[in-house]
Parts: sequence; C-alpha cells; structure tokens
Amino acid sequence: MKIKITIAGLVTALLLSAGPASVQAHGDGFNDAVKIIEQFYHVKHQAIPLLARAGMKAVGTAARMKGGDDKRLADAGSVRVAVFEDQNFDSRGQIASFKASLQTTLAETWSPLVQTLAPKNEEQTYIYVRDAADKFHVLIVTIERHEATVVQATVAPEILAQLMKDPGEMGKALTEDATINDN
Amino acid sequence: MKNLFQNTWKLAPVLLILLGGGAITAWAQGPRLQIDQLDVLANKASETVDVKLDERLMATTAKFFSGKDDADIKEALKGIKGIYVKSFTFEKEGEFSQVEVDSVMSQLRGSTWSKIVTVKSKKGSENVEVYLNMVGDQITGLAVLSIEPKQFTVVNIVGPIDLEKLSKLEGQFGVPDLGIEQDKTKKK
Repeated sequence: MKIKITIAGLVTALLLSAGPASVQAHGDGFNDAVKIIEQFYHVKHQAIPLLARAGMKAVGTAARMKGGDDKRLADAGSVRVAVFEDQNFDSRGQIASFKASLQTTLAETWSPLVQTLAPKNEEQTYIYVRDAADKFHVLIVTIERHEATVVQATVAPEILAQLMKDPGEMGKALTEDATINDN
Repeated sequence: MKNLFQNTWKLAPVLLILLGGGAITAWAQGPRLQIDQLDVLANKASETVDVKLDERLMATTAKFFSGKDDADIKEALKGIKGIYVKSFTFEKEGEFSQVEVDSVMSQLRGSTWSKIVTVKSKKGSENVEVYLNMVGDQITGLAVLSIEPKQFTVVNIVGPIDLEKLSKLEGQFGVPDLGIEQDKTKKK
C-alpha cells in the first residue's frame, strides 16, 4: 500500500514539475540533434505525452528506491526524449553528410563515442558523451527506416565504462530505459 | 566543358583524400593516426562502425573495471590513451580503392612505425597488417589494417599495447575480432 502511495505521489509530483513535453530551444546538443534530424529528413518529432513521461520517470525512480537493477540512468529527472514515429527516414545516399552535420553541430561540447551506419536499412546509431560534474551526459541518437529516437541522459562513470566496453548493447539498454514505459 | 566539370566533381572525394593524404603524412608522425578522411566511404558502405574512445574517457573510466571478470581488461587498458576504430563493410568488391588505403598506409611509413605482422589468406584476398609505434624501446601505439575485398578496417590504439593485450580487447571497446594468431604471424 505504501509503495502504491509513493508511486502515486511521485507521478503527481512529476506531473506538476515536468515542463512542456515538446523540445525546448535550449540550443544544446539534444535540441540540435532533433533539429538536424528534422531538417535533413523532413520529419517532425512527436512530443511524448506528459503522463507517459511522468510514468517512465516514476517507474525508474521506484526501481531505484527498491534497489532494483534499473540503475543505469543516474538521474531520472534529467532524461530527455524525442521520438519520431511512422515517418520516412531516407538519406538519399547521403548518410555520410548527415553524420558530418551531426558531428559538426555537436563537436563543440560533445565527444563522439560510437557511430554505426547501415545505409541500406537506413539504420544509424550515434552515441555522444560530455562531462556533467562527477557524472556524464550521454546523447544517443537512433534512426531506423520509419522511426527515430533522441535520448539524453545522465549516467554514472561506472555505466559509461560499461558503455565503452559494449557500446551497442549498452546504448540500446539506455535508450530502452529512457523510452519504454512499462508502467 | 560540362563533362569536364561533371568528371571533376565525381573525382572530388578522391582529390580531397590525395590532397589531405600529403598533409596527413607530414603531420601525423605520432601514434595517433588520422582516419577521418575515410568517412567518405560511409555513403558506399553497407555498414560503417566508427569508434572514438579518447584519453579523457579512458582515464575517467579505467578505475571502474575492477570486477573479477574485468581483471584482464584492466591490465590490457593500463596506460592506454585512446582506441579509434573505423570499419567499412561493402556489398560488392571494389567499392574502396588504394587511394583510401594509402591515406592510412602513408602515415605508417613514418620512422616511428614498424610492421610487425602480416597475415595473408591463401587466396590473397584477406590481408591483415599490424604496426607498432615505438619511441626508443617503448611501445606508444598500435595500428591494424585489415583489408578484404568487401571490408576495410583500421584499428588504432594509442599507448603501450602489444598483440597479447590486443587479443584481450577484441570484441570489446569497439575493437573487432581481428583473428590475429600470434604463432601464425611473421615479423618483418
């Protein structure tokens, strides 16, 4: 009963504290990445409903409170997500140009960690990192033929170490942590 | 005239690599190779992997490989200042040229680099070369070039690394499985 009340309280608090779901123009890497995707692919990101966002955060927070395994995201409040669904991602044979644009835009404050491209299937993954005091900000851009996700999250150095060791799997896991609402 | 412009435009990436290659050769004498010029291959490749683990990241995270399973990794990463990988896989043969290969090879002709291993398949279609960067008797870097008809991979590790350590890193940190067997290798 207590747990239910705690989760309900968290959801309410997050509903009140969460800003507008749309991407705000902070001019940082997250917004820049979203803008570049929109401009290059002529697509629009979708705002995640406020309730869903609050639900995701509450689940993550509850898992941490219980000492569960879901500790990859160091600070649930810092997770930022932009989703592109049911849209057409066609790089028109210019996938390297997209990669270069993203790199040029993010180069000032973000360091590229891993980039994988498979043009035939329009699959791309970009993982960028930057310092955040004693932790790290991770920016993960995932693009497929009909959907894309941009996730920015804060992770502890231990998680960054695992991300470096196995970038593919850990990048996927972090994106899932940030986007899947199993509430 | 129109054709001349069209042909020049088509050759632009090659010219860029050639021009860049000269500058790179003159500049890159240290253990860190310049490999960003290969990015043009991404448009033709069916799969591209680009990994950059720089000194700051390596230093920050090194202490977090402390588990039992990580003992080998921790040892292999000791003193490593960077891991850089570019790998391009193509659907057809002939999608990359000697120009791209030479843009990396030319840097390895510097006085501090020496080839320690060449592995060639019987048909000659696969060629793996391993180079070490030495300053005095200290290893300061390693480079692996794996050239196959449909795949071109460059691995550059900065820091004290040898083949044994390299084998411990294969399959992790973006380093592909290179399949270099020390007993089958030959020194230059």
